[in-house]
Amino acid sequence: MALFKRLIDWIDVRIGAREIVAKELTGYLLPRNINAWYSMGSILLFIFAMQVVTGILLLIYYVPDADKAFKSVSFIMNEVPFGWLIRTCHAIGSNMMVLVLFLHMLSVLFMNSYKSPREFNWLTGFILFTLVQGISLTGYLLPWSQLSFWATTVATNSANAIPVAGPYLVEFLRGSKLVGPPTLGRFFALHVALIPLGMAAVVGAHLFFLQRTGVSTPPFGQKETANQWQGDGYRYESHPGGIPFFPNYALEDLRSIFIYLACFLAVVFFAPNLFFTSDSFLPANPLQTPAHIKPEWYFLANYQTLKIFPNEFIGLSVQGAAMTFLALLPFIDRTRERHPLKRPLFMICAVGGILLWVGLSVWGHYS
Amino acid sequence: MEHNGRRTFLGVCLGGLAAAVAAVTVWPVYRYLAPRSTRATAARVDIPEKEIPEGEAKFFEFNGASAVLVRKRGGGLIALSAVCTHLGCIVQWEKDKQDFLCPCHGGHYTPDGVVTAGPPPKPLAKLPFSVANGVITVG
Repeated sequence: MALFKRLIDWIDVRIGAREIVAKELTGYLLPRNINAWYSMGSILLFIFAMQVVTGILLLIYYVPDADKAFKSVSFIMNEVPFGWLIRTCHAIGSNMMVLVLFLHMLSVLFMNSYKSPREFNWLTGFILFTLVQGISLTGYLLPWSQLSFWATTVATNSANAIPVAGPYLVEFLRGSKLVGPPTLGRFFALHVALIPLGMAAVVGAHLFFLQRTGVSTPPFGQKETANQWQGDGYRYESHPGGIPFFPNYALEDLRSIFIYLACFLAVVFFAPNLFFTSDSFLPANPLQTPAHIKPEWYFLANYQTLKIFPNEFIGLSVQGAAMTFLALLPFIDRTRERHPLKRPLFMICAVGGILLWVGLSVWGHYS
Repeated sequence: MEHNGRRTFLGVCLGGLAAAVAAVTVWPVYRYLAPRSTRATAARVDIPEKEIPEGEAKFFEFNGASAVLVRKRGGGLIALSAVCTHLGCIVQWEKDKQDFLCPCHGGHYTPDGVVTAGPPPKPLAKLPFSVANGVITVG
């Protein structure tokens, strides 16, 4: 222990490490009524790290070549020791990331934490949401299975509905008229380099805004639930007498991560094919379209929206409008009240929106 | 004291649990990354005698590494590892000079694998072989 203390002293006199720990960890106080939903961000950071690690491991054996991609994935699944585990963790981890991201967004939504002065947190979070969708879509193609190939064909084809530029946009996205080897090359580059780097940068910005503005106080269990921010000057939202982040809330975070891991590993070991259909075990065949190609569960609502409108452009515009509304929510919703039960209109819109999304997804699944 | 004893016991339990979690995480990753097999190529190789005329050499993969068969002028046959004993480059056969050259750092070997010039510290390793019915079997 003496040696450990000497090492810490050695570092401390050079960079003031104890001061950083006191300010950012032990002295970083959180509201006393903080709840488990505040752990969603930590779980997401953990999932992102796991996706990066398993992704790098997959890169060792995966070959981004249309003639070899499916074989290389089969090789990982069947020949490489524990290859099945790494690949299953990556594939299920991507679905879990979307699921936890939804929960994170819903908790922020229902606790009204997106309100001033946290517009930047919401906006960066929203950008992360679109980047996660992008990384999921591009990763979906990489195994070069029938499912990957035709789901990407359908997804990229939806850009066709955009007037004038649509057909060229589709060709630009694919790198060719139809989905083919050029599509795999560009989706691979996006999936393993551009989008992860973008995500890391935006996560950094998201945490920076959190650190500068301070953690929001949950509206539950409070007498005064109106937003106290005046907008007259910058003020860090401190929580005097609150719970220290380290070790108290860090342990809560750790507990949430372990609960997540229990759920995640239950799927990995007991339902590894939950997110795979039979088409994902067949190599891509550009001349044979399988029946009933469906996108991943989180794109089912988008898929069904495109189907119910007689004109694809209207379907696309409705989705664009909904996404824009969600992105600009802190600028549209300017009311001060933060308790959801004191905001009936907000609750009707939020619950109605969620039910609509779930309904469209279920409809999309069975249509 | 009792309080400290309980704290130590829980600490040891937690440490043991953390070590177990680390082990079950690291082991699959290690197995995933470990070389699949050192015997990527055959440990016995058959080569027809007619493929190696007098004064020529034939390179082949043997037991996961490069090897060479040489038929010296005068008819003598020899099987050697083609891995230079200096820093592991693959030696090249110089037919006109009837010797091996390692292009990396200029090591020279006789057709028997004996060092004649340059930095290699040891001769090329000899490989066992037999000849039967016009087929050379290395290994």
